Amino acid sequence: MAHPQIAVFARLAKENSQPTRLIAGQKTLLSRTMHDIRYDAIHDEFMVTNPFAQAIMVYRGGAHGEEAPIRVIMGPNTQISGSAYAGVDRLDVDPIHDEILVPTGTSILVFPRTANGDVAPIRIIKGPETMLRGAQTLAVDPVNNVIVSSFGSSSRLDPGDPRAGGLTAGTGGLLIFNRTDNGNVKPQRVIYGDRTGIVRINQLQTYPPKSLLVAAMPGAGNEQEPEGVFVGVWSIHDDGNVAPKWKIHGPASLMKKPRGVTLNPKNKEVIVSDMRLNAVLTFYFPEMF
Amino acid sequence: MRIASRGRSHIIGGMILGLVSLAGWFIAIQSERLDVREASEAAFRAPSGEAQLIGVELLPEMDPMMCEWVPASASGPALFAQEQSGSAADAVERVEIEREPVRVIRDTYSTYSAIAVDLNSDEVYMQDENLFGVKIFNRLDNTPASAAFTEPKRVLGGLDTKLEFNCGLYIDPVSGDMYSVNNDTVDTMVVFPRGAEGNLDPMRELHTPHRTYGIAVDEAAQELYLAVQYPPEVVVYRKQAAGDEEPLRRLTGPSTQLEDAHGIALDTKNGWMFVSNHGSDSDYRQAGSGQFHPPSITVYPMKADGNAAPVRIIEGPKTRLNWPAAMAVDSERGELYVANDSDDSIVVFGVTDNGDVAPRRMIRGPSTGLRNPTGVFVDTKNHELWASNMGNHRATVYSLDADGNVPPLRTIRSAPADKPALAIGNPGAVAYDSKRDEILVPN
Repeated sequence: MAHPQIAVFARLAKENSQPTRLIAGQKTLLSRTMHDIRYDAIHDEFMVTNPFAQAIMVYRGGAHGEEAPIRVIMGPNTQISGSAYAGVDRLDVDPIHDEILVPTGTSILVFPRTANGDVAPIRIIKGPETMLRGAQTLAVDPVNNVIVSSFGSSSRLDPGDPRAGGLTAGTGGLLIFNRTDNGNVKPQRVIYGDRTGIVRINQLQTYPPKSLLVAAMPGAGNEQEPEGVFVGVWSIHDDGNVAPKWKIHGPASLMKKPRGVTLNPKNKEVIVSDMRLNAVLTFYFPEMF
Repeated sequence: MRIASRGRSHIIGGMILGLVSLAGWFIAIQSERLDVREASEAAFRAPSGEAQLIGVELLPEMDPMMCEWVPASASGPALFAQEQSGSAADAVERVEIEREPVRVIRDTYSTYSAIAVDLNSDEVYMQDENLFGVKIFNRLDNTPASAAFTEPKRVLGGLDTKLEFNCGLYIDPVSGDMYSVNNDTVDTMVVFPRGAEGNLDPMRELHTPHRTYGIAVDEAAQELYLAVQYPPEVVVYRKQAAGDEEPLRRLTGPSTQLEDAHGIALDTKNGWMFVSNHGSDSDYRQAGSGQFHPPSITVYPMKADGNAAPVRIIEGPKTRLNWPAAMAVDSERGELYVANDSDDSIVVFGVTDNGDVAPRRMIRGPSTGLRNPTGVFVDTKNHELWASNMGNHRATVYSLDADGNVPPLRTIRSAPADKPALAIGNPGAVAYDSKRDEILVPN
């Protein structure tokens, strides 16, 4: 991918619409590929990861051009890490309790939202009981007080475990923790198994008013157009081998490899970014709101 | 006087009204936020080992006839049947939906990440990183200002080609074979013969490290050089390497000062290798080791291997480097050409330059047609310098001597002039800004 940037479009933009803003250039400290971006409406900020610099960067909500971040979380005390393949991948912000959450594969780090510089996490979910293996994405529900995290094929779930649905490595799932969990804690619930359809999960969102979680399921990473991709909606109370409550998928959806998902409750829209199409698709989806 | 006084009273009244409104709004916002916090705290359940009341919701009024009366003396099976019925009613409906999007944001035209010229066939190859593929044009094509765009002479693309996020390009000067580096997903460099067209299998494939970006070839030694973004390294293969073949050499490690490496160029006359770096850096094996460095061009002997330090570094504010991408060397002139993405420029250095040096020449300004150039090619036969621009659907060509705000000699444009290039690439996430009613798309 040749050119890092954050392009900003009007919600009603369509094909070949001019971006309203572009954030790019050396001073921005951006790199590609940013696998997450979160907008904090209460504090009017957005934030992304820099996977190669093991950094979290926070920008003004109205940032444009070659604008530097207003805060950067980076340094040895942060314990931010990633794999050779993924770097530090994704994050989420809890604007109610003023926290930023970062998955590192085997842990979830929680920072004060206003952290800046080489700051230690205030909580860490980590250890064998957590089942955090290959955890590269998460979302927080600050109202129902849960954290939803992905886990990957290296999960310690044994194929014989009833929750594994008889599946072997190569499939992923979702772990649900209490929001304030800390240390080596068991997840409250595990969504895993053949009925889930999950190979891996990329961007995750929660919708607190209906206790829902929304996940982009892009299929196998090494395939250009994997089969079975979808955007799925589960309840945060789901547990075990359960299919999504709603699943947007199929040729009509145009989706080839959906990696990003976000919600616009006001207009009852689910917004999806698709890496194979280099496009953003907006679905009117009143059922879930 | 009275009129002035009344006007003043109106102003003061307006100010008071405004302050009251502002205070009301502030209290409402704070109240709303407190409500959310209280709801959050109320909903939170600390494990106690016992059932806990977490909330009360009034049941809607019900028609008493809806429930079948079951006498206390009913037999077990009747009660069980009712329980089963209740369970079925509680079962969550799972719905699969095939639905068209109401809107799609995408660029329907080609966007060019890299460029190379086949000097034997007089053709220009352009890497289309938006629609995935390679577009081939005649070298002398020049899109008239009145034309919508120039049709390519050939198009190579489709799933079989494995061209995706293709950002590095090399044309064999003798055979005309085309080498394409694919930065993501397929992690494979693909090779096609001259004249290849349509959706066909590559003639050769080499599995490359994830995030391979730049490509250069030492024809004399028959060695292929690839620059890898992260973990940053330069891997050197036999030129004809295929499949899972291991590299001959790997330049990697903290002493190399490779930091989010992008372009690579060779000065075969003097035996030097140039690598452009964006500056983001960390050791993935060590948590919290991330650092930001200034952009740079690091210079090594071509045979550098292992954790070798650069012999020179071009770095500093005078260099104007801003996300430097692909590079090309003119060994005869002793010059290094750099596609300087975020400065909308091509900067030219001497191959012996070192430290915080200003470019010898710079193509930059509104007349140049440069917009986020990431690809560059030096055509010594025709004395021309080519650039591919991610920011405007165009390839632009200049004299090798060009300097300043000069218009291109020719332009190949692949979209109507008024169509913006969105440059969306590998969008791994998306966010909605509810305050501005905007969608944020990171590459």
